[in-house]
Amino acid sequence: MSAPVVPRPDAPAVRTGRRSALVLTLASVAGLMMFVWPLLLDPGADDGQRTDAPFLFVLILPVVIGVVVAELSEDGMDSKALAMLGVLSAVNAALRPLGAGTAGIETVFFLLVLGGRVFGAGFGFALGCTSLFASAILTAGVGPWLPFQMMCAAWIGMGAGLLPRRVRGRAEIAMLAGYGVVVAYLFGMLMNLAFWPLLAGVEVPGHDGSLAYVPGAPLLENLHTFGVYTLLTSTAGWDTGRALTNAAGIVLLGPALLATLRRASRKASYGVRGTFGDRDHGPDEGSGPVVR
Amino acid sequence: MTGATVRRAGLPRDLHPGAWWLWALGLATAASRTTNPWLLLLILTVACHVVVVRRSDAPWAMAFRLYLYLGLAIVLLRVAFRVLLGGDTAGTVLVPLPTVPLPDWVAGIQLLGDVTAEAVLAGLYDGLRLATMVVCLGAANALANPKRLLASMPGALYEVGTAVVVALSVFPQLAESVQRVRRARRLRASGGGRVNAVRTIVVPVLEDAFDRSLQLAASMDSRGYGRAGAAPRRDRAVTGTLMVTGLLGVCVGVYATLDGTAPRVLAGPVLAVGLVVAAVGFVVAGRRVERTRYRPDRWRLPELLVVASGVGTAVVLFLTSSFDPQDVYPSLTPLTWPPVATLPLVGVLLGVLPSFVAPPPLRTPASGSRATEAVR
Repeated sequence: MSAPVVPRPDAPAVRTGRRSALVLTLASVAGLMMFVWPLLLDPGADDGQRTDAPFLFVLILPVVIGVVVAELSEDGMDSKALAMLGVLSAVNAALRPLGAGTAGIETVFFLLVLGGRVFGAGFGFALGCTSLFASAILTAGVGPWLPFQMMCAAWIGMGAGLLPRRVRGRAEIAMLAGYGVVVAYLFGMLMNLAFWPLLAGVEVPGHDGSLAYVPGAPLLENLHTFGVYTLLTSTAGWDTGRALTNAAGIVLLGPALLATLRRASRKASYGVRGTFGDRDHGPDEGSGPVVR
Repeated sequence: MTGATVRRAGLPRDLHPGAWWLWALGLATAASRTTNPWLLLLILTVACHVVVVRRSDAPWAMAFRLYLYLGLAIVLLRVAFRVLLGGDTAGTVLVPLPTVPLPDWVAGIQLLGDVTAEAVLAGLYDGLRLATMVVCLGAANALANPKRLLASMPGALYEVGTAVVVALSVFPQLAESVQRVRRARRLRASGGGRVNAVRTIVVPVLEDAFDRSLQLAASMDSRGYGRAGAAPRRDRAVTGTLMVTGLLGVCVGVYATLDGTAPRVLAGPVLAVGLVVAAVGFVVAGRRVERTRYRPDRWRLPELLVVASGVGTAVVLFLTSSFDPQDVYPSLTPLTWPPVATLPLVGVLLGVLPSFVAPPPLRTPASGSRATEAVR
């Protein structure tokens, strides 16, 4: 099994070189700032009219996501990865309406976690984007929330691909289930944070006592108000429902699905390029066989 | 369809999806510039009218109703927030209520308190504004054909666009696959609990889907889709540098926009330059994809008129909100009846133009022969 012609069973479906990693990091930093903007906003002395920042971000975030996806696909997304991406997105888009709106059961994330785990971080990122995009197109749900949802889902898929790869068996399922729970709460919190000033209102100075956002207030104060807001509005209902769905999905279906996904990954043998014998294009497995 | 309609707006066809989106975004921008309930209700009416007149009978067009419900929920939520967590605001008391003291860990937050007309109206105006914007987006979703929009994806996103197209076309096959597996299961008369049932359905369906994806990849390979690594090393270095520089600019710009104490040069200009550089990298990356479009959507006169009506509405409201803020932001202290001015009314009515100039939508004949319309 040590011959170079045998593809690694856990080779990432989408190669991410150093430059892709850099682009991913920069885009994640920019994206994170657009999520936590209410905490960063400091009106300063000149004007206090920048609470309409999210409208600007709704335009910037798609550009950022587009750049990352373009870089990922340029760095190495072959037709096998594309087809797998399409099929998994379709499954995710089909799973999503199953739980939509009923007590926070969100069925879209557990397959995202499993897919990112098996096919790697770059694929997980792309899968998060395409899943949410495809399901938005199928359900006519395109709107300003879409780029934010896509970014969050992309992070979830990417994070699952970055978890330690050595862990296998029961420990792996436990790790993924724990990750699913953490991610469910984080997703709810980040989405709430980005749209909190829009839904709970922006506070005029000198009047307090509600859950509204106060631009420029000390970080801890705003964080506290937001904590209460998110606890009251979503943690008990949606977020916990989402966390339970994730954990249940991963524990009950995880072992079978992981095996299925790994089998598919092995069959597709990512990381091996078909060659015609003139020169090798593959970066690590030099003389790979023509697959299938 | 009467003869007059056909003469005025041309033969039935799908308008360019980009035109519908620009029109709807124009209306949404206009809505974001006002809290005057009369204007907002008028924008809502305009959006609903155009949707009812010009939508096709595709499934995405039927989802418009959900956006109306969502808008209603937003308004109710905003008003409920104001009432439940109103605190003590001075003003015209509608319903006198006691303030409920809360434990220490939620310090700074009060439950109930006197319900004032100002608080309720402020919630209503704000909620109505957000709801109107959401309904405008719903109008775009209902009117624009998402598959045609996908077909005009920029070149750099060509691969991922292909993946989404694959997803959209695999989607109906999944239902068929589920039925097949369930039939086989029933024939086998396998028992087991509900978890087991889910597992015995999900795993074969996924296996099936993955096998299909490999077949699809093989056929895509043979037709030249998804070629990788065709760009020369130097081109890749250029696009990479452009993208990284652009994203750095966006990072700095976003932070400076939020932090009022940072130098202003870092906010607007750096953000704009970063976006432009990233966009140039994006376009250069897209040039490596050489392909032609099958029957591309063209921008013709109706498209331009539709866009002009949306942009016109936005511009008029922008101008009014800077010249004459009282007309678009009705005062709450003192409480006044929201005014109705001519200029913004005319501006909003511009938005109804698409219901006359846009071509009538294609409607499916009863047999449903267009159900198998190709994606690209």
